[in-house]
Amino acid sequence: MSRWFSSSAATGSLPEPDPEPSQPDPGLRRTLLLLATREASMLEGQVNFLTPELLQVDSLVREAAGTLEDALKTLNRSVTQQHLLASEIQAAQRNSLEGEESETTASGGFDAMSSSIMGTIDGFVSHMTEISKSTTQLVEQVEDIRERSTRMENMLEELSEIAGRTHLLSLNASIEAAHARQFGAGFAVVAGEVSKLADRSTALSKTIQEQVSGTRQALERTDAHVQDIASKDMNVALQSKNESERLVQALQMSNWIVRDLVSQLEENARNIATQVGHVVRSLQFEDLVHQTLMACLKELGNLMEQAQAWRMLEDRLAKGEAEALALASLEATLREIEANRTQFRAVKSGSLAAGEVDLF
Amino acid sequence: MGHCILTVDDSSTMRQMITFTLKGAGFDVLEAGDGVEGLEVAKGKKLSLIITDVNMPRMDGITLVQRLRALPEFKFTPILVLTTESDAAMKQKGKEAGATGWIVKPFSPEKLLDVVNKVL
Repeated sequence: MSRWFSSSAATGSLPEPDPEPSQPDPGLRRTLLLLATREASMLEGQVNFLTPELLQVDSLVREAAGTLEDALKTLNRSVTQQHLLASEIQAAQRNSLEGEESETTASGGFDAMSSSIMGTIDGFVSHMTEISKSTTQLVEQVEDIRERSTRMENMLEELSEIAGRTHLLSLNASIEAAHARQFGAGFAVVAGEVSKLADRSTALSKTIQEQVSGTRQALERTDAHVQDIASKDMNVALQSKNESERLVQALQMSNWIVRDLVSQLEENARNIATQVGHVVRSLQFEDLVHQTLMACLKELGNLMEQAQAWRMLEDRLAKGEAEALALASLEATLREIEANRTQFRAVKSGSLAAGEVDLF
Repeated sequence: MGHCILTVDDSSTMRQMITFTLKGAGFDVLEAGDGVEGLEVAKGKKLSLIITDVNMPRMDGITLVQRLRALPEFKFTPILVLTTESDAAMKQKGKEAGATGWIVKPFSPEKLLDVVNKVL
């Protein structure tokens, strides 16, 4: 069309027919007709080639967009799941450390718990130290009682000896009373009573000695036990303290690692969410490309109609129709196609950046 | 009760992206492929918002806005136009038809949710 009506195509109007046309040169007319026919054939060929190509592009883009949409949904589900898991880990950590009603953060709770454990252990060790001191005093007191028992045993031995001598004295007294005959009868009674007292004293001393001996043996066993406790309890307490400190430090380290990992997971989820937003925006290229392709196909349809109009001119002239009428018909057809072209709307946006928003 | 939003677009990708964004933010979403279907889906429903494309087969978005505004139940319902069209003249047509706002494609999820929360 542009070659046939080169000056008018841009303005959208065709030249008015010459009121007094000169006699056409049959040779020139035939050449122009041949050129027009060839141009029309070329246009038809190009349109027939481009149309399926563009439809195939549309189909490929649509298929790719569909695949990407599915992948996006799967990705989003995974991210949501990951986010939920991270939240669950955090909540479980917080609940186990603080209880559900606490309002402090998990880290604060763990530090408080560590301090509490260490405070308890320090209190325990302090208590054990006091017990150890008491035990030492107890050992000293047991030693004191043992010494006193030994002294008591010595005194009892002395008492036994006195009882023995008293008994001997009573015997001598009885002998002397016998020598004195009737004058010593009363003295003999006294000597007999003294002898009985000496016997009772000896028996009592022996019984007390046995009790004291038993007490001393019990004290020795107690002393052995107490010394054993005194030597062990501080070591156990200190070992327990060291072990507890080590465990608390390990727990603290573990807590830091978990907290750091959860934090990284959250950061990762935020990054992915941002990227998902970009994907959602970019995936709309399918609609933009589709609309652009549809506009191109419509324009190709216009080209095809133009080519067919030129072919029609050839047919009309070949059938012997008046040249002026045939040209007028061509002109009318081309005007109609041009008018339709003004309704064509292509996608205006040249990028995938988010479009503007206007609230009325 | 949550907000229910109707999205009308002849592109399945666009519908899915809009639905994906809105559902992710906790909204219920209904879909329609053109103005005629959009009108059918909307009738009898309690919708908090309608988001429609402009260029669609059977019934375009501007006509849909006009038809919805003619129905008493959608007289004051927010209607956003989401389209590739950015001509001032076309925007004016949308405004005169009764649209609440105009968003040019492509949309970013963040921006769309921002606008949705503003008009709800």
